[in-house]
Amino acid sequence: MNISERIEELMPLVQKPSRYIGNEYNCVIKDAAKVDVRYAFLFPDVYEIGMSHLGMKILYHTLNKRDDTWCERVFTPWPDMMKLMEENGVPLFSQESRTPVKDFDILGITLMYEMSYTNILRSLKLAGIPLYAKDRKDGPFVICGGPCAFNPEPLAPFVDLFTLGDGEKSIHQCVDLFKSWRASGAPKEEYLKRALKEVDGAYVPSFYNVEYNDDGTVKRIEPKSGTGAPRLVKKALVNDLTAADYPEKLIVPFGEVVHDRIMLEIFRGCTRGCRFCQAGMIYRPVRERSIDRLMEIAEKLVNATGFDEISLMSLSSGDYSCLPELAHEMVEKFMAKRVKISLPSQRIDTFLKDTLKETQKVRKTALTLAPEAGTQRLRDVINKGVTEEDLMRAVTDAFSEGWSAVKLYFMMGLPTETDEDILGIADLAAKVRRCYFSVPKEKRAPGLRITVSASVFVPKPQTPFQWCAQLDSETVRHRQLLLKSELDKIKGVDYKYHEMDVSELESVFSRGDRRVSEVLKNAVENGCMFDSWTEFFNKGGWEKAFEDAGIDPAFYTVRERPTDEVLPWSHIDCGVSQAYLLREYEKARRAEITPDCRKGCQGCGLRRYEGACV
Amino acid sequence: MRFVSHLDLQRFLMRALNRTCLPIAFSKGFNPHPLLSIAGALAMGHESDYEVFEVRIEGSIDKDTALKTMRDALPPDMPIKDVLFREDNFPSMMSLVKMADYVIMPQSSNAELCKAAESFKAMDSVMGIRKTKSGEREVDVRKLCIDISTDGEKLYARLMLTEQDTLKPDLLIKTLSDIAGIEPPACRYKRLKLLGTDRDGKIKPITEIGV
Repeated sequence: MNISERIEELMPLVQKPSRYIGNEYNCVIKDAAKVDVRYAFLFPDVYEIGMSHLGMKILYHTLNKRDDTWCERVFTPWPDMMKLMEENGVPLFSQESRTPVKDFDILGITLMYEMSYTNILRSLKLAGIPLYAKDRKDGPFVICGGPCAFNPEPLAPFVDLFTLGDGEKSIHQCVDLFKSWRASGAPKEEYLKRALKEVDGAYVPSFYNVEYNDDGTVKRIEPKSGTGAPRLVKKALVNDLTAADYPEKLIVPFGEVVHDRIMLEIFRGCTRGCRFCQAGMIYRPVRERSIDRLMEIAEKLVNATGFDEISLMSLSSGDYSCLPELAHEMVEKFMAKRVKISLPSQRIDTFLKDTLKETQKVRKTALTLAPEAGTQRLRDVINKGVTEEDLMRAVTDAFSEGWSAVKLYFMMGLPTETDEDILGIADLAAKVRRCYFSVPKEKRAPGLRITVSASVFVPKPQTPFQWCAQLDSETVRHRQLLLKSELDKIKGVDYKYHEMDVSELESVFSRGDRRVSEVLKNAVENGCMFDSWTEFFNKGGWEKAFEDAGIDPAFYTVRERPTDEVLPWSHIDCGVSQAYLLREYEKARRAEITPDCRKGCQGCGLRRYEGACV
Repeated sequence: MRFVSHLDLQRFLMRALNRTCLPIAFSKGFNPHPLLSIAGALAMGHESDYEVFEVRIEGSIDKDTALKTMRDALPPDMPIKDVLFREDNFPSMMSLVKMADYVIMPQSSNAELCKAAESFKAMDSVMGIRKTKSGEREVDVRKLCIDISTDGEKLYARLMLTEQDTLKPDLLIKTLSDIAGIEPPACRYKRLKLLGTDRDGKIKPITEIGV
């Protein structure tokens, strides 16, 4: 039996076999004998999540435009399928041709969140690829990119090459280099050396020595002599998104996926400067796609997919410079085809009543708003830049437009937070409730529902809060209970909170150094995977993993770093400079805000990049 | 396609219809969707040679254009065999279905099952347990099986398929395995036809009824 037949045999035995069908409408099938480079693109999570990821769609499309390359998708099989595959000796395979991942030339992996790291190692194991880069004599190059690559160190020993920043160009450079390197017959190391010169944003972890102080902090990170590796690795930047490749077809999955719609990226980057937000730092500067280009892409995608919804995506879609015009043109054009236009990630202060009216001519789902913190002082600390008046105006508008469900997102454990800030959350919820009742009864929809959700803040690398301690779990629990008891007093309010364990782990791996890689390896040996899925979170497995590695998670979580400490990612340049991050950290401690840089340059450091922010 | 569930197939076909140039009629309401109905749900894991779905259209379109645009909108493993037009007052395809033909390919124990099929055919009544969403129900498997034959390897069966009386081919295999005194083997199932009865009582594929 060939591998495809063996997979078919297992499919009746698992939940949701449609995850493994492949051959979806618009997926790219090529003749393997007629391409030079086989590229496997792994999204280290289950199919429905991976198929909702925009970055993968963009890179899949741009690679498959080449005649010489075939890019295929790979997802981590759900634990039921994984178990069957292991028992039956079926290796990790690609969706398109069901080729074992081990037989590809390049294995690209996207790093979207730290809690997928165990899935990466599990996937490598299932593929039969040695975990450590140094142990791999043949098989595909393992190349990682995505937001978590801005602190690549926890994965350093497992990865051959990281590519930092926008991938539209660098992924082609990796493939071009592969072709010429293979033709040259040179050893593996030569590919990595040449990548430093020929691939934008290339970081080769094995080319660096990391030394540690006696107290466990990093002493220095030095490029090894003779490798040509730079002291500071700069990210790749695509300056013109209008000219950049964007998919003109999208794969239409058989089963339901998380985002079952057309995702249209209207711009990349965000200028708001919220100090907790890693995306707001690493995706700078703001680059918009032109309206004409967006209309052109949208039309092609509607015709090619049959989806009935277009989502205008970005980090803060309300900030698109001509949003009312764009929304209006979209609604006009696609109304006849019954295609809905939706706007995710609403900001409170750019609540565009008319735009919303236009885009939401459909059933009103809950309106989601993110004040992030309960008091003005704390919102100033994090530079959220919204006021209580903004929030009250936004919800009053929404209630008079017929919304009756509001979701409010907050973070708990933000730097300088006190119990008072937590009480402020309950206070805001009570005020939102009053706004609802201030709208005349005949104008508002019945059935008020307010959901307050508070996640535990995880300080992220490459942000002004990269030096901060994560709030200890005891205080988190105390504040969760405090908030719960306060919210219980208000009618019609639901409170949702998260368990602390996963936030602690996330904290270790987001700001960890190379030594935590051993914890990851141990955790995988202990059976950990799909850690962000509560049903698979294996607390005991993780505890043992830390213990066996001799690592105390507290060193990475609740320890405040002095600003002169060498951070594990100090050799990685994400675009904004360390000097800017430090300035912002100091302003945060004074609860001083920094305005949106569209209103005046704040000197974040992006101007060091050619063609950015001109 | 055999691992696509009925619900997923519906969504898949709606999107395919959106990709065509057909003047499709949409439902009213907040989330309008093409007025589409599939004649008979196919069990997950089963293959089929003959599936029928109906789409309401507004206005008219010629058969060749309809065929071409549907074929372009669907993957090769879901080939459109034919397009038929029916007036709005014609009974729905779903309501015409009375029974279905299947071919069943056991992966093992073929001879035992074929032998059991012979004895089964000679019996008047064989009771079995039909499992539904609402619970278990005892049914007469023999009565729900209109015809059965074998070629020594595969089994061919014509089974009832109405809202009240339905026999799924896996229950038939379970029943035959009980007769043979074996564990039910893994099988591949393929639906060959959806059938109904014409005005003169003749059994015909549903697409040939009333024309």
